[in-house]
Amino acid sequence: MDDHRTIADATAVVLTGGKSSRMGRPKALLPFDGEPLIVHIVRHLKRVFAETVVVAAPEQELPLLPVALVRDQVAYQGPVSGIYRGLKAATKEVCFVTSCDAPFLDLALISHLLSEISDCDVVVPLWQERFQPLHAVYRRSVAPLLHEQLERGELRPIFLYDKVRTRKVHEDEIRTLDPEGMSFLNMNSPADYDSALQLWRKKHSLSVSVELFGVARMLAKTPLVSLDLAQGATLAQVFSSLADKFPVLVGRVINSEGLISGYTCNINGLNFVRAPDAKVNSGDKIFILSADAGG
Amino acid sequence: MYGFHGRLLHIDLSTGRSSWVDLDEARLRAFLGGIGLGTSLLYEFAPPAVDPFSAANPLIFTSAPLVGTGLTTTAKYAVVTKSPLTGFIADSLSSSHFALELKRLGVDALIITGQAAAMAYIFICDDKVEIRSAERLRGRSPGDTEAAIRTELTAPAARVAAIGKAGENLVRFATISNEGRHAGRGGVGAVMGSKNLKAIALWGNRTTTVADPTGVDGIAEALRERSLSSLTDKYRKIGTVANLAVFDRLGVLPTRNFQQSTFDQAEALSGETLTENNFSRRHGCAACTIQCERLFKTLNGEEQRLEYETLFALGPLCGIENPDAVLRAAQLCDHYGMDTISAGGTVAWAMECSERGLLPQTQKLRFGQADDLLAIIPAIAERRGLGALLAEGSRRAAIEVGNASEYWAMHVKGLELPGYEPRSLKTMALGLAVSPRGACHNRSGAYEADFSGDVDRLQADPGRGAIVAASEDYAAVLDSLIVCKFLRKCFSDFYGEGAALLSKVTGWDCSGAELKRIGERIHNLKKLFNLREGWRAADDWLPERLLSETLPTGVAQGVGLSANELRQMIGGYYRARGWDDNGFIPDEKLNELRISL
Repeated sequence: MDDHRTIADATAVVLTGGKSSRMGRPKALLPFDGEPLIVHIVRHLKRVFAETVVVAAPEQELPLLPVALVRDQVAYQGPVSGIYRGLKAATKEVCFVTSCDAPFLDLALISHLLSEISDCDVVVPLWQERFQPLHAVYRRSVAPLLHEQLERGELRPIFLYDKVRTRKVHEDEIRTLDPEGMSFLNMNSPADYDSALQLWRKKHSLSVSVELFGVARMLAKTPLVSLDLAQGATLAQVFSSLADKFPVLVGRVINSEGLISGYTCNINGLNFVRAPDAKVNSGDKIFILSADAGG
Repeated sequence: MYGFHGRLLHIDLSTGRSSWVDLDEARLRAFLGGIGLGTSLLYEFAPPAVDPFSAANPLIFTSAPLVGTGLTTTAKYAVVTKSPLTGFIADSLSSSHFALELKRLGVDALIITGQAAAMAYIFICDDKVEIRSAERLRGRSPGDTEAAIRTELTAPAARVAAIGKAGENLVRFATISNEGRHAGRGGVGAVMGSKNLKAIALWGNRTTTVADPTGVDGIAEALRERSLSSLTDKYRKIGTVANLAVFDRLGVLPTRNFQQSTFDQAEALSGETLTENNFSRRHGCAACTIQCERLFKTLNGEEQRLEYETLFALGPLCGIENPDAVLRAAQLCDHYGMDTISAGGTVAWAMECSERGLLPQTQKLRFGQADDLLAIIPAIAERRGLGALLAEGSRRAAIEVGNASEYWAMHVKGLELPGYEPRSLKTMALGLAVSPRGACHNRSGAYEADFSGDVDRLQADPGRGAIVAASEDYAAVLDSLIVCKFLRKCFSDFYGEGAALLSKVTGWDCSGAELKRIGERIHNLKKLFNLREGWRAADDWLPERLLSETLPTGVAQGVGLSANELRQMIGGYYRARGWDDNGFIPDEKLNELRISL
């Protein structure tokens, strides 16, 4: 989810009312990147959308969210019902619809889909020859057609696409923004969830190695430590992560402000840096050593 | 007079006569004690162009105002003379009980000239001076000599500084040793040997009064506390040997005679590994809270002190990876009384020359061969075979061998380089090039800028001149008060705090600015001495290898130092000093510093 600073005059609709039967527990509440999945998704969508609508099942438990919350009248009626409810609740003309089990939203791709709506009613990605109706843009004006579908029992959203002006976004076009189609990766089972978590960590963390010298090495009883940190991490996170791994260093080498007097830090053997706000990069080798080189 | 005794003792070994000479307060205030006072006395007492081994070359021991005040790390003394290794000033420091005893003797300086007819030692008890025979001590180690003299004197409180066989045999990098500490650099022990002086024993009973005892105690207590904080962790918890592993990773560890700046086997020799496998005990100088000395066990169960400089010089510099071999080599150097840095540097030069076929192959010397190293050290001390050549130090040996072997002689002004690679420590490169005593890591701490992040250590620029000059002045004050450099990080405003302390000791109203100016004056006088002894601009330079080869390994791979870069930095240094473009001191500068000759 790359940072994207343009706020679209559009509504994001998140469907959360699925059964989560294969997952065995409510997907919306699965912990993800340190927060419930629904919070994670809403937080990212709010970077792009002026308005967010969450569509939930009648009695569904959800954390407090900064969104317009609407509930299905009848539980588990499927995606057409959810999309319909969302479009009805939206105040903006154009809506991006997604589900609460796709954590790898790509804001650049979403912006592209929004930009393609101009003389269409629906913009829908076609990934690996399958439509992605829960990662698509709909005009609010299609809501009556969805209502008719519901009444006829046509529970698959794709029936809509032949009836309205639909812009199909093909795979090669998608790949220019989301080469691996991560946007369409959703989680239905605990195994999906585990692999999504691993993928997230891989994509969104950086690894550094910390080499300890002198007193720090003697205390930690190791010369080398590998740390996985969040993207954009600074030396402050290095010190804090190191303190978590080696509490013995706290108060002796590391304190809440960074390194205590008498110690210093060098990145990649080249730059001596003590400022905790100094950025680190993946692959950096961070030396922690005495600040006194006298001998 | 507070803090000083206001007099010196001059002993002429040729005549056996002693005389006490008053020292006026203005001189003490201008140069303090330690190396400042020693430099001032050297300028006065050494005849111009004196041969370092001649009877006329004064061997000067000085005390200092802070010695004996109870302030941590101040039990130190200075030895100043004209160096037989460099032909310029030799100013060395040593420490512990001998320093306290010198102060209790009731003199601020002890000057020894002349030459005893046979091997002798001096025993001074308050105002009584005896010159005694030391023939029976000939050939004995400094430690044995100390013990023997203390037994002979039946004065367990007496303290002794002595030379070993290297000093007796005029090895140009011989040391003067007391209690396992050494006035190490520049060959002061050889000057002592040239006077047929095996040892000096002191037993004094005078006290020094300070102007404001309560004030001094207050500062002493605050510094004692700070000396036990994390600021001195390295020295208190591992010792200086901690430098080796990190210097390797930073690409600043001179290896195989400066062929490279990393050592593949650094971990085997690291301070951390030594502490884990060989640690025996921690020790320190008298009146010191830091206790930086580390004694390690050799394989045969003996204890040996080891500092980073010794570890580097007898280890990576000679390609030696076996910790026990390094400990044994250090033991030999201590036994014979020779500077480990110059010993390692000279042997490393010989190893390189030997491998290149420039030395007679009668005695094998190869990098990484512990047996070769352990065999050559006694040969140097006894001036046997190839050892006689190496006893002259790398500069003279290279001139003797010829065949362009000077290219591999890693010295400045004849003093072998310490364990800080100049190509990847550019401020240090300048500090080493311009230091009056030759390649020295103690009379300035120029490397501190390189390790601070304030400058790019891999890049040279003329702005380093001001940094080096400031560092030299700072060191001159530390060395003249005297305060150990391992306490330096414990001051937040060194000149302000140092001046307050000096004022409370002496009763002077001394400001930080005055103290800073004293440092500058002392440094300029060292340079003046060198100028008088024939200094030329070419003496402020680095060995050709450093200016021709880039570093082949480590994080500084590909980094070099060009002659032009060095020239630019030296120019910046002369400007920062207020000297002329050729490094000479203008009269206006001397007037400004109130140095009258």
